[in-house]
Amino acid sequence: MFIYILRRLPQTILVIFGVTLITFIALQIGGDPTYLFVSERASAEEIELTRIKLGFDRPLYIQYFSYLFNIMRLDFGDSLYYRQPAMDVILETLPATIELTLFAMFIAIFGAIPFGIFAAIKRGTWIDGALMAVAMLGQSIPSFWLGIMSIIYLSLPISWLPISGHVPFLMPIFQGNFIEGIKNFPTTCLYLILPGFAVAFYSLSRNARLIRSSMLEVLSQDYVRTARAKGLSEYAVVINHAMRNAWLPVVTIIGLEFGFMLSGVVVVEVIFAWPGLGRLVFDSISHRDIPLVQASVVVIALIVIILNLIVDLVYAKLDPRIKLS
Amino acid sequence: MKKLLTGLIAGASVLFVSSIGFSAPSDDTFVVGLPTDTKGLEPAQISSRHTANIMKHMFGTLFFISEKGTLDPNLAESYSVSDDAKEYTFVLKDGLTCHDGEALTAEDVAYTFNRVVDPELAFVGNSAGFVFPSIDFQSARADSELEVTIVMGAPNHVALGLISEVYVHCKDSYEKMSKEEAAENPIGSGAYEFVKWDKGSQIVMKKVANSAVPANFENLIWRVIPEASTRTAELIAGNVDMITNASPDQVDVIDASSTAKVQKVSGTRRMYVGFHQGEEYAVTEGGKAIQKSEVRRAIQYAVDVEAICANLLNAPCERATGLVNPNNAHPTLKPYPYNPEIAEYLLDQAGYPRDANGVRFEITLEAGQGRYLNDKNVVLAICQYLDDIGVKTTCDIMDWSSVYVPKIRKKEAGPMFFLGSGGGTWNPLYDMSDLATVESGPNYTKWDNPEWFKGWKVINNSMDPFVIRREIDRMLEVFYNEGPWLLLYFQPDFYGVSNRVKWQERRDEEVDIFDASLR
Repeated sequence: MFIYILRRLPQTILVIFGVTLITFIALQIGGDPTYLFVSERASAEEIELTRIKLGFDRPLYIQYFSYLFNIMRLDFGDSLYYRQPAMDVILETLPATIELTLFAMFIAIFGAIPFGIFAAIKRGTWIDGALMAVAMLGQSIPSFWLGIMSIIYLSLPISWLPISGHVPFLMPIFQGNFIEGIKNFPTTCLYLILPGFAVAFYSLSRNARLIRSSMLEVLSQDYVRTARAKGLSEYAVVINHAMRNAWLPVVTIIGLEFGFMLSGVVVVEVIFAWPGLGRLVFDSISHRDIPLVQASVVVIALIVIILNLIVDLVYAKLDPRIKLS
Repeated sequence: MKKLLTGLIAGASVLFVSSIGFSAPSDDTFVVGLPTDTKGLEPAQISSRHTANIMKHMFGTLFFISEKGTLDPNLAESYSVSDDAKEYTFVLKDGLTCHDGEALTAEDVAYTFNRVVDPELAFVGNSAGFVFPSIDFQSARADSELEVTIVMGAPNHVALGLISEVYVHCKDSYEKMSKEEAAENPIGSGAYEFVKWDKGSQIVMKKVANSAVPANFENLIWRVIPEASTRTAELIAGNVDMITNASPDQVDVIDASSTAKVQKVSGTRRMYVGFHQGEEYAVTEGGKAIQKSEVRRAIQYAVDVEAICANLLNAPCERATGLVNPNNAHPTLKPYPYNPEIAEYLLDQAGYPRDANGVRFEITLEAGQGRYLNDKNVVLAICQYLDDIGVKTTCDIMDWSSVYVPKIRKKEAGPMFFLGSGGGTWNPLYDMSDLATVESGPNYTKWDNPEWFKGWKVINNSMDPFVIRREIDRMLEVFYNEGPWLLLYFQPDFYGVSNRVKWQERRDEEVDIFDASLR
């Protein structure tokens, strides 16, 4: 396993290099960002001084390689907008995004299980049809639309369901303030309901369809027929025998799921005023805060890479037929 | 299964109970919903009106620009000007304190001003980038415990107003802090003291006893809610008391609710279409045409500004007569009326008749999208109005921050471009300073009319208010007849206000919560 992890390292470095290069090019296409950092009435001299101060007067290749060199020393530069180390800004927002994404993944996985199993068991009935229609809807509805509709039709009429905002749970924990974190937990969950569902609905729908298909395949296997013939209850057949194998495709996509959710989280965080990394990236792009965008992209890429690695390791554990080599 | 169900019900109950009383503000708290968070809480590094609105509640200024445009005492009770008009001496009120408990004296004010230009701190933003160069700041000194003098390189008729944009902070606390610490731990001198900043979420302040500026609410919370419809929902739900930048398309929804209303006000931001006067555009057909003042004047009659305001901005407006806000504008000039027949006649007279295709000349109107109220549709409407009088106009609408802003700042947008410029209510010269010199940063049209620019010499060399006002009026007449702007409107501002509170909006985009109260 250790050797397998080591063999993934060059891949990781290549991916990081790739994302920083693409991000850098994409940000530079928009032209000189200096003008966004001076007031409306700034003189030409002030603009030029600011350009030099921010390092935008250097040739592009120097700017990029200077940034790469600094990353290798774990120096991600200072946010041009917040004027503090970019990584500090990211670490302040990351816990909120982790809360939202984990909550959404929880819904997307554990909400999909009964959904998919039930549809598989009731295959061909109106229940199956209705559940799959909802799943199709879930894969068609954009998360931002779902978010806004949920505010209008759920949050406004139901006064106890928060419209927007965030109460931190993980941040106090990371800062060592466990009591405050635990105290906040119920309220954090309340605030997570609508944005979590908005992020998760697409994945929940897709996972439900995946579990249904997988379950149908497994339920037609000989060993399941044998289990039924032995007189086991349908519950025991499905949960104890069929589910374990039907579950494998879902494990595969969990790593991809997280990466996909991070992209959905950007818009949902803006709608629900969730102070997370997704919203930070959105604002940073608007502000042309190049160091912050680049640092955020590196962090997100690393998270996705690490998660995919964990998924591969878990998959190998779950399925003895899979070898890491 | 039963245990699971019981657990779920218990969990839901905890969630429900924990939410009670969490959202709606209490009677001693005023909550403002904002579209963006602040960059930081460093008083010397403010570069947006939005951040300034937050900071003015934590930091006092020497004088205070009122809603009517008067300059009223704030931390200072009086001021005097030296004979050469280069030194302003302020006398502070007695008994002032900073939020750290230290006395606020002239030494702190001098420190504030000198700190802005400290090369080691290298501040950018409104004070360092605009105020100080505008007044040609030299130094500040404490003459006594309560007297402080600001020294400028040259007389400046708008110095008092500009000096009033500088937020006073206290030497003892700020000397001990690094720049990064200061950006997150403000120690102010104003009506409210800083409690906490949950980045991306909210800034919380608490009223200070015995402040120079009294305030009604004990607690002030600035909540960051980026999405306009979410801000509206929070207002309607009663979770915020006031939202800035209420979207015009949501005005009816807010007004129809029983919990809030929209307060509209004609702002001070001058919206205009610039006619680029530079040589680079004079070689193009349209660019050459707008070099002639007769053509520019003709175009003034072609656009129905009132209709644009009523239909696209959801707010009535009066057309601008110049670049100065109405309360300081020329006393007798009337807005150009919408009269396409006059426009066509004047264009014929200017030597631009319609050709066989009905076209007089072709021109491009550039604009950025997403910065101003319904900007894209306003620009499209203007293009259509010009098309109607035979000026075939291509609307080139581009991304605001990445494409348009660099073009504007380099003075390369044109031959016509749509833009807004912030203004004020306290002095016409502040609005006119956009065109203080040909080389001025905001002179994006590169206008160089000598009749206009010679007026600055007269103004700068006189201390007689009558002479100054007469010259201002003369210059405004020049601008009206030959100016480089297609005069449009002052951008309206929309504030959503809860029925729970009484709050008065201001024209100049400043937000004051000091006098807000419960109904």
